[in-house]
Amino acid sequence: MRHESLRGLLLLTPALVILGVTVAVPFLFMGAMSLWTQIGFDYADDWSLRNFTAILTEPLYTTLLLRSLGMAVAATFVTVVLAYPMAYFLAFHVRSNKLIWLIIITLPFWTSYLLRVFAWRVILGYEGVINSGLMELGLIGEPLQFLLYSRTAVIITLAHAWAAFAFLPIYVSLEKIDKSVLEASADLGEPPLMRFFRVVLPLSMPGVIAGTFLMFIPTVGDYVTPALVGGPDAAMIGNLIQLQFGTVNNWPMGAALAITMIVAITLVGLMFLALMYGLRRWAR
Amino acid sequence: MKIPSMISAAKRGTLSRRAFTQSLLAVGIVPVISQVAPQRARASGTGHATVFTWGGFDVPELYQDYVEKHGELPDFAIFGAPEDGLTRLRSGFAADLIHPCMGDIPRWRSTGLFQPIDTSRLSNWADVIPDLYQEPHNLEDADGGVWQVPFDWGQTSITYRTDLYDLEGEESWDILWDERYAGRIGMLATGDDAWWCAAIKAGVPFDQIDTDEAFEAIAAVLRAQRPLVRTYTDDTTSLNQALASGEMVAAMTWNSSAVELTFEEVPVRFAQPREGALTWVCGFMMTRDAPNPDSAYDVLDALLSVSAGEFLTGDYGYGHSNARVLDLFDDEDLAALTLSRDPADILDAGHRSIPQSAEWNARMNTLYEQIKAGF
Repeated sequence: MRHESLRGLLLLTPALVILGVTVAVPFLFMGAMSLWTQIGFDYADDWSLRNFTAILTEPLYTTLLLRSLGMAVAATFVTVVLAYPMAYFLAFHVRSNKLIWLIIITLPFWTSYLLRVFAWRVILGYEGVINSGLMELGLIGEPLQFLLYSRTAVIITLAHAWAAFAFLPIYVSLEKIDKSVLEASADLGEPPLMRFFRVVLPLSMPGVIAGTFLMFIPTVGDYVTPALVGGPDAAMIGNLIQLQFGTVNNWPMGAALAITMIVAITLVGLMFLALMYGLRRWAR
Repeated sequence: MKIPSMISAAKRGTLSRRAFTQSLLAVGIVPVISQVAPQRARASGTGHATVFTWGGFDVPELYQDYVEKHGELPDFAIFGAPEDGLTRLRSGFAADLIHPCMGDIPRWRSTGLFQPIDTSRLSNWADVIPDLYQEPHNLEDADGGVWQVPFDWGQTSITYRTDLYDLEGEESWDILWDERYAGRIGMLATGDDAWWCAAIKAGVPFDQIDTDEAFEAIAAVLRAQRPLVRTYTDDTTSLNQALASGEMVAAMTWNSSAVELTFEEVPVRFAQPREGALTWVCGFMMTRDAPNPDSAYDVLDALLSVSAGEFLTGDYGYGHSNARVLDLFDDEDLAALTLSRDPADILDAGHRSIPQSAEWNARMNTLYEQIKAGF
């Protein structure tokens, strides 16, 4: 027994060391820095909560944080709702060549993230695919301005760029469902729609939850997409954090913002889990 | 993004990887990508200097003398704005040369990251226009050298579409505050340009820019402008394309936008606002711990050469620091490029920014970011 636990520890060691060096230590350093104050090119290590007070009281920070959470929720919701039918189709209705279907569905992920974001500029732009198409058809007199440089543009781009992160976990959990369970439910006289809501959906919830987290967490802090397709009204907290470490040159504030963002993501995540737990209990 | 222009650019063979990455870099995606390139270069031990500069200044035409001597180009790293570059240097990034503007010198020197440049090692130094480097803060404590070798000079002003923008009266900064064209105005994203231009618009004298009243007055004009702005960006490619397609009718730009659009036969003018444009001189500073100083001096000499200047002025429309470059162009050409045989004509006719403290800079940038975000 002792031998086995030792072996387990040994197997874990590389991962723990990497985690410690690349996550825990920088995080502690960031925590310390968030309590400092930037003065010119130097830091005053006066250990104050000034940065956090500013974040909680100044409308700029709270607005951008709430906006980022809202936009990430919207993008995640759109993606999960669109990815679920695709995954369902692939799991239950495709019998042969599943690999080819998987490759086709995840094909956009073979290109760089930046290229995918840039592609949306070409689609949504002033003389882009949508605008020139609509003009050609004579449906609009002049290009639609709201397509690019708007929150909608950011949500569309995020939903597309991260789609595979929601699709794959949902597909895996649907694929795992024992088909005989479905047959049993049919034999017992459940109509198809009820079968979906009472059997398939609950069994695939782990995949939906995993997909939601995989998509929600990174999109809250995304700064590339709002920078390229966002425009003035769609700036997100990630843009502000990036500026603190660049032009604005206030690293302690950047660290404090990053920590606040992590806490906010955790809170929203916990709320989502609680909601899912409540739904499950209610459904029983 | 303009598809027809991209397709025609691809046909002409001018749609380059450089133009694409330049766009990415300019919107602040610098740290993600450019982290890799120079480090790999150093690891290979090429002995080439690393030049940390703006996108568009990494082209072979500017380094012909260097290539002749060393057989290949120096290494490059690209920033979106010089302040980003400074932040990278301060966090340990090793470059030999970096490309800030004249007003930055005292503040940058105070970081202790730079060394004076020995001008006796530059064969082209005798031709450099003295007006461009003889500033007290560039010469003091420099051991007879300079802190910054001047390279390019020009103006920050307004490029507007002469066919789409209905000019009433004289050219003025009011163009960028014209409510008739709400949603069709472009702005530069860095305060280094925008804040000073807004000071001109607000009528704040530059020597009083470090006062609470000045901050309030400038913030007020920028806030009033925000609802009119289509987007804030430092990506000149985006601004040029938006101007070319008519998405924007006017934008705050540097000389090069107007020159490039004129080459493409888009009807634009680089305005000479009656209140005066913002004028600037930029150049190169050498880091204290430059890994390849000898190569860096060769880079500087190549940049100061007449051939580099001919390209910089002829193709980008910026002034060059070598006096002999101006002899290659006649007065008409120079006027069309909004340059002059005597740089002082242009530089003193407009407003030159005055060096400020790091605290001022932080306050200005923080406030400008707030305004851009809508507060």
